[in-house]
Amino acid sequence: MSNEELNAMQRGFHRKDELEDLNVFPSRDKLMEKRVALIECVEEIPCNPCGVVCRVNAIDKENLCTLGKIDWDKCTGCTMCVAVCPGLSIFLQSMKNGKGYVTMPYELLPAPKVGMRVRLRDRSGKFVGEGRIVNPTYQARGDAYPRWVVTVEMDDPELSYEVRAIQVLEE
Amino acid sequence: MTDLRIYEHPILEFNRGKEITIFLDDKPMKAFKSETVAAALYANGLKEFSRSIKYRRPRGFFCAIGRCSACMMEVDGVPNVRTCVTMCKDGMRIKKQKYPADYLSPFLNLMKLPPARYMRLMTRPGFIYNPAMKVMRELTGLGTFKKELPEYKSSNMGCEGTLETEFLIIGGGPAGMQAAIEAGKRGVEIIIVDDKDRLGGQLVKQTHTFFSDVKYAAGKRGFKLGEQMIAQLSQLPNVKVLTETSAVGYYPNENIMLMKRPGNATLKVRAHKYLVSTGAYEKTLVFENNDLPGVYGAGGVQTLLNVFGIKPGNRGILLGTGNVALMVAYHLIQAGIEVAGVYAPSFRRVRGYFVHAAKIQRHGVPIITRHTIVKALGRKEVTGAIMTKLNPDYTHVKGSEFRVDCDFICIGVGLNPAYDLVQLFNPKMVNVSALGGMVPIRDKTFRFTKNAYIAGDCGSIEEATTAMLEGGLAGLYATATLNKGDESVEAKIDEYTHALEEDRGSPFSTRLKAAIKEITVENIEEVLD
Repeated sequence: MSNEELNAMQRGFHRKDELEDLNVFPSRDKLMEKRVALIECVEEIPCNPCGVVCRVNAIDKENLCTLGKIDWDKCTGCTMCVAVCPGLSIFLQSMKNGKGYVTMPYELLPAPKVGMRVRLRDRSGKFVGEGRIVNPTYQARGDAYPRWVVTVEMDDPELSYEVRAIQVLEE
Repeated sequence: MTDLRIYEHPILEFNRGKEITIFLDDKPMKAFKSETVAAALYANGLKEFSRSIKYRRPRGFFCAIGRCSACMMEVDGVPNVRTCVTMCKDGMRIKKQKYPADYLSPFLNLMKLPPARYMRLMTRPGFIYNPAMKVMRELTGLGTFKKELPEYKSSNMGCEGTLETEFLIIGGGPAGMQAAIEAGKRGVEIIIVDDKDRLGGQLVKQTHTFFSDVKYAAGKRGFKLGEQMIAQLSQLPNVKVLTETSAVGYYPNENIMLMKRPGNATLKVRAHKYLVSTGAYEKTLVFENNDLPGVYGAGGVQTLLNVFGIKPGNRGILLGTGNVALMVAYHLIQAGIEVAGVYAPSFRRVRGYFVHAAKIQRHGVPIITRHTIVKALGRKEVTGAIMTKLNPDYTHVKGSEFRVDCDFICIGVGLNPAYDLVQLFNPKMVNVSALGGMVPIRDKTFRFTKNAYIAGDCGSIEEATTAMLEGGLAGLYATATLNKGDESVEAKIDEYTHALEEDRGSPFSTRLKAAIKEITVENIEEVLD
């Protein structure tokens, strides 16, 4: 069955245009200027680590259940919120020198290394191209939120709007 | 030889202990000290553990926590041992139970006797009862001791005596442990019992990070949270932990809770206050062949994957789109197991949190709503499933059946409160669908009878954080009524009540909140009279 007639809530993932309507993306200029966080969390669930962890107070969470709103002028792209989000729904995105960059949480095997080639998946899991890992960091603060945060580089900057997961290709 | 064990995992490290050898029908098999017999056999590729009594249908690993009886085998000469709660020992001899009925059953089935006929068959006149029973036992496979019984110590079989305590907590999951921590810190004498070999309840299987407030559980992985709480409890000398102990009975007039200890010894516990935090049972689905080995509950799959590090199969499907099913799908992806799809009849939306659904789909696992399962395929184990599309009135769309190849089917369609122990206290029970099923009427201090409290999933199906908060609150209220603790009790009660309210502030909890309000009364004693 095609999923075409379903809306995002029935499908369980968003398309890019639906997220644009929800004002998830900053302006193109902002993405060219610096790396910023996008919160693709669209549902009011009781959760607040992103607002607490942000060092520059760029994420505004009124109370436990309201959606986090991000101030892209303040955001420094430090990746803390990417690592902490229990729903794995915060990403960093930027476009520089004609290339696209996406930073995402990664909880699979094999452990990521700089320069590894990866297949890029979009929000529906479809393979949309290939890229490289440029900056894998393992973030952990004691027992809290230990996980890999991986930045991948892709040749087509437009793809950075779509790519949200990777599959590491065997070297 | 097949070995389904997972040796590399992105989150977990499996400390399996010493490698040992067990024997299945005289065939040696690799096992580890920390594994149960059933887990070790499963890791070696054995899917059929026993046969059903009447129709001799294959039975396999199902619940993995000692609830069903599908894994009964003969261990070291003792028949009908539940292998999923028996730990491996070096040189253990395990046998599949074979009966003459295996050959007779096709003929018996042809007679189509109702169960009641079986029960009455050959019981009268009285004198034929005993010899006839021997024959029937032999036929049905309920087991007879063929060899000498292994010697039981009399102390193991008898009563271990009576314990006195102030606060007895039944169930050592997040709710029970938090109650023990809060009350224990304030000097209440506590016994906490759990029927598993360790505390932690279902937390030990949760490898994902939790939502909620950073003050409580948010951002932590469930099993780490469990370890932290166990460590906190071990600091408290007034908290006594009894694992591998099941609470089996309650006698209101004598105020005694009866326990079953390993080796079938009994233990009586008399307490001033009780907390029931027994959690929940999994619901199942009705479809053809849903008893085949390879059809599992979500909890069974989680146990295999995250406690023992064993693959349930190579390619599976999930039924249900609640949070449990979505999380299990993610755990399967992490363990490198192919998930062919998450199927559910949901029409309005994916039932679990959206972020969970998004996270599994971006790794290539499709969620296919408006579909349901028709039957599982296979003779001895699952080899596939027939799925069908649904009309908006939940009838099957004719001709839309298709086959999905898979070697296991995981059912994650929700939970029922485990109310059987609650009922022994003679509370007023009501059936509330928003809370998962039968739950007792309680008051604002979580009491459902004069001296028994309730917390966690057995009072309302929610999540681990709310269970923790409820447990904490119940522990604090019990402390207050026992006249223990200081002024910090009230402050903490306020803090937890506020946190619980905030946690239930999302649109997901609207129905639940209303339902809880409805079954909460001012004075519980008036309701019971």
